[in-house]
Amino acid sequence: MEKFLTFQQDQWAVHILPTKQFKTRHMSVRLLWPLDHSRLTATAVLPYLLLEGTKKYPTAKSIMRYADDLFGAVIRTGIGKRGTMQVLEASGSLPEESAIHGAEGLFQKVQELLVDLLGDPFLEGDAFPRSHVDRELTLHKKRIESVYDDKMAYAMERCVEEMGRGETFGLPRLGYVDDLQDLSGEILRQVHQQLLKEAELHVYVVGNIANPEGFAQVMFKTLASRFGTAAAQRKSLQTVQPLDYRAGDVRYVQEQQEINQGKLNLGFRTQVSYSSPDYTTLLVANGILGGFPHSKLFVNVREKASLAYYASSRLDGLTGVIAVQTGIDPRNYERALQIILEQVQALKDGQVSKEEIEFTKNGLRNQYLQALDQPMSIADVHFSGVLTRTDRNIDDLLNQLQAVQSDDVVKIAQTLHQDTVYFLGNRGEQDDAQG
Amino acid sequence: MHKVEYPHLSEVLYQETLACGLNVFLLPKAGFQQVFAIFTTRYGSIDSVFKTKSEKQYTTVPEGIAHFLEHKMFEAEDGDVFSQFARFGASANAFTSFDQTSYLFSGTENVHENIRTLLDFVQQPYFTDENVEKEKGIIGQEIRMYEDNPETRVFYGLLQAMYGQHPVRLDIAGSVESIAEIDKEILYRCYETFYHPSNMVFLVVGGFDPDIVMNLIRTNQADKSFDPAPDIERFYAEEPVPVVSAQSTVHLNVKEPRCLIGWKDARIGLTGKALIQQEVLTGVLLDTLFGRSSDLYHELIDDKLIDQQFSWEYELTPGYGYSVVGGNSSDPEQLVARVRQAVDKVLAEGLNEQEFERSRKKAIGRFMSSLDFPGYVGRSLTSYILKDADLFDTLNILESLQLDDATGRLAEHFRVEQQSVSIVLPKA
Repeated sequence: MEKFLTFQQDQWAVHILPTKQFKTRHMSVRLLWPLDHSRLTATAVLPYLLLEGTKKYPTAKSIMRYADDLFGAVIRTGIGKRGTMQVLEASGSLPEESAIHGAEGLFQKVQELLVDLLGDPFLEGDAFPRSHVDRELTLHKKRIESVYDDKMAYAMERCVEEMGRGETFGLPRLGYVDDLQDLSGEILRQVHQQLLKEAELHVYVVGNIANPEGFAQVMFKTLASRFGTAAAQRKSLQTVQPLDYRAGDVRYVQEQQEINQGKLNLGFRTQVSYSSPDYTTLLVANGILGGFPHSKLFVNVREKASLAYYASSRLDGLTGVIAVQTGIDPRNYERALQIILEQVQALKDGQVSKEEIEFTKNGLRNQYLQALDQPMSIADVHFSGVLTRTDRNIDDLLNQLQAVQSDDVVKIAQTLHQDTVYFLGNRGEQDDAQG
Repeated sequence: MHKVEYPHLSEVLYQETLACGLNVFLLPKAGFQQVFAIFTTRYGSIDSVFKTKSEKQYTTVPEGIAHFLEHKMFEAEDGDVFSQFARFGASANAFTSFDQTSYLFSGTENVHENIRTLLDFVQQPYFTDENVEKEKGIIGQEIRMYEDNPETRVFYGLLQAMYGQHPVRLDIAGSVESIAEIDKEILYRCYETFYHPSNMVFLVVGGFDPDIVMNLIRTNQADKSFDPAPDIERFYAEEPVPVVSAQSTVHLNVKEPRCLIGWKDARIGLTGKALIQQEVLTGVLLDTLFGRSSDLYHELIDDKLIDQQFSWEYELTPGYGYSVVGGNSSDPEQLVARVRQAVDKVLAEGLNEQEFERSRKKAIGRFMSSLDFPGYVGRSLTSYILKDADLFDTLNILESLQLDDATGRLAEHFRVEQQSVSIVLPKA
């Protein structure tokens, strides 16, 4: 089973999984720090801004051309939200050098490019150049607004936003449009320097690495030369914890747009997350509710009532939030909501068949085994452990999964607290949809 | 069982045509947990007018029926098919495209049971009046979902602007009105015509033993009896070379407009290596002109006309072909003008060799990396098999691609009379 070799130097860690399984080699550098509104939007702009130029390749075009010349190395940067942490990622992948004629030594170039992107940007004085900043602020505004155009994603984001109003985890992944006007090249550079100094850093490498130890040492050296060696200033980081229950009534939120399909999303809190010994039990409970085509939501909302094309639930392992989503005719709001809540109640009442347990455990086991075929999924499982300070590999997860019993599932189902009901309805038909 | 080795790719492909006519392909991949199996019929949304040799007249069936049939295949007399896969821990799915319908699973254990389930459920239809009616609500919501989706709308808008006769212009799922006409009799009719094993391909990719799996499939098929293969005649209306209209525009509840520019290909009717050659050549050409390393891409970003979603694609089948470029745009009219300008410039001045070479190398790297994904490989292999082509020829063709090949192709592909534009604008 998968086994990362971890090399540590202060707050920097290099995790290497040597394997000959793949024709591609992958690397991902992740910088993480707590979500904080005061620097949220600046941090979210950074990964895109950094692709505008390094000292060596001072424009976006020259970076892309360089990457394409490396047999189309895939170079990506992005921003993520994991629980209450903000994660800035730069990743690169490249065909294994042995597989292509003329590709020897290219991975080292990808490695250097990623570190340059993060640590050695093209600057004018102490600031990112104005032209780069202008470009990226325009693009970032669109990036934030574009969620509106994808109604399924929009409804999910709005549900989580409403659920987390006033809490750190409710801060949006991409930040706020209103913050953008305050961002200058100077401010962004200050946040960037602070990030390099304070953030915890994890490097993942999956591929045919002959000498992991040597590879890690080279990596640390490269990092030190671009980031500085200010390890002493690094703050020790918090561990990601599940969300607490919220006091008060269920929040009902309704919104209307001119659309053909309504979106009904529900949020539940459980106070159980990845670090809990009950995590795999909750995974099974969520799977029975809505993780699969044999699950209660799919069978009852779609197959029996014929109300929806998709009806599912998803567990966020870091926050312990279970989110239900479905797309329905807006006139069927009440019926769909009732059927969804009945399924949650059935789970809590122990109406869970042997087959539901067995099928769900098999399905989850399949998902974890399949993750072993996907380099970045293997890294993500490991990274969830890093964020929650939990030492558990896929093998451990499979063993814990195997041990889950029906009684445990029903017991853990009691932790589901209904928190928020979000409905995106069709303008003009709201009379049929009351909370 | 034939064995074809591709030493430069470290891949080995096994093939056998069974007595019933089913064409089976196996691609074992050492070290992989996953087994991905895909069972495909050469039957998609474009096959709505057809007859068998013994019939005198063509039958026209409702739009969206191939997709409807795909949904209904998951119904079994003794419960639904998803549960049969779930019992053995596999994840099942299906999709319908213009020219094929595929059923698939990916699993890691109980592979033999899952392969049998896949073979059996696709060869055992169970349609009732009741389960057909029930599906109309579900597919109706699937159609509604796509109606709200700007990417889907702008894409179908483009096909409808380009094509006036060929059924590729029609939505794969049909419309709420067209699927209302579907009943179990028409479904059986389509099933019996297009789901004979001789019209189908079964393919497995991933971690398994090819001898055992081939034997299992052989035995499974030998135990079933099939009618003689129907001789299918499909009717596709003659499509003129020029596009139907230069532009199509719809309004939707979005913030950012969408804009696609497409070119309908006149060079169709290809199969095999010739098809792959045209496909990769056009792909490298499009990447040189519109990819992330192109001058145009960065100029358009600088001028705030596009964002990073801007991309291109090229689709080629024996019956139709088209290229598409575009994405989000704050000013579609301006974007169209700039793209056309760039195309005209390269038509006049020719392609830059260094840029062409960069895109070609990039395509080689991306192709190699794609082989790490059993699901992707399985889908691509299948789609090429239906076009009598071999996915693994791609590398050799890419390696021998020349700038000269591109020059002629440029002139024939980017003709103004074969260009359409599709725009989605925000509702006022």
